[in-house]
Amino acid sequence: MEMTDKIEETAREIGARVRPQIEEARKRVSSMNDSAIAYIKENPGKCVVGAIAVGYLIGKLASRRG
Amino acid sequence: METRADNPPNGRAAPESATAKKLGKQMEKVGHTAEQVWDRTRESFSDFGDTIDLKGRVSRNPYGTVAAAIGIGYVLGGGLFTPLTSRIVRLGVRIGLRLAVLPLLKQEMAEIVDSLEEDVGGGRGEAKGQASKRTRTRGEEP
Repeated sequence: MEMTDKIEETAREIGARVRPQIEEARKRVSSMNDSAIAYIKENPGKCVVGAIAVGYLIGKLASRRG
Repeated sequence: METRADNPPNGRAAPESATAKKLGKQMEKVGHTAEQVWDRTRESFSDFGDTIDLKGRVSRNPYGTVAAAIGIGYVLGGGLFTPLTSRIVRLGVRIGLRLAVLPLLKQEMAEIVDSLEEDVGGGRGEAKGQASKRTRTRGEEP
């Protein structure tokens, strides 16, 4: 019983320590996602042309390896 | 004031100025045609833009549009018939099967298990009933 209590307590402590960091990371990812969407919406042409260029490069590399 | 070059005394000035005028007219024509070509090109590009509705597409689904553009570039770069494509397709099929087929399989399994449990429960109930009947009959026996 003591062992399980200790394990529970340790898990609780770890959870309490890690939870704020996870929350912070989630907030960061969310803000990054929002800013990326905003940038794409502001510059659609740039983003599409850049994406085509990136895809072209990937295709070239793949065809060379193949 | 006229210079000697503009109006030389030998009388050859008239044809030279005519050619210059012709040249000027032709240059004007070329400029006009170039302007027309530019206008038409711009119009056709704006029509193309209206047709594909890039801004609308991007505002509706930004990541999807970028992914589609990457796909177009990939195909243009000659990466379509490569081992990487086959790998990606295989991975996609696997994920698709997991997402689509596994829930169906789970549901089927759950139904089968439920029906089995019902059968087993019913069988046990019947067996219990029979057992109690037997005990009763034994008890009634003198």
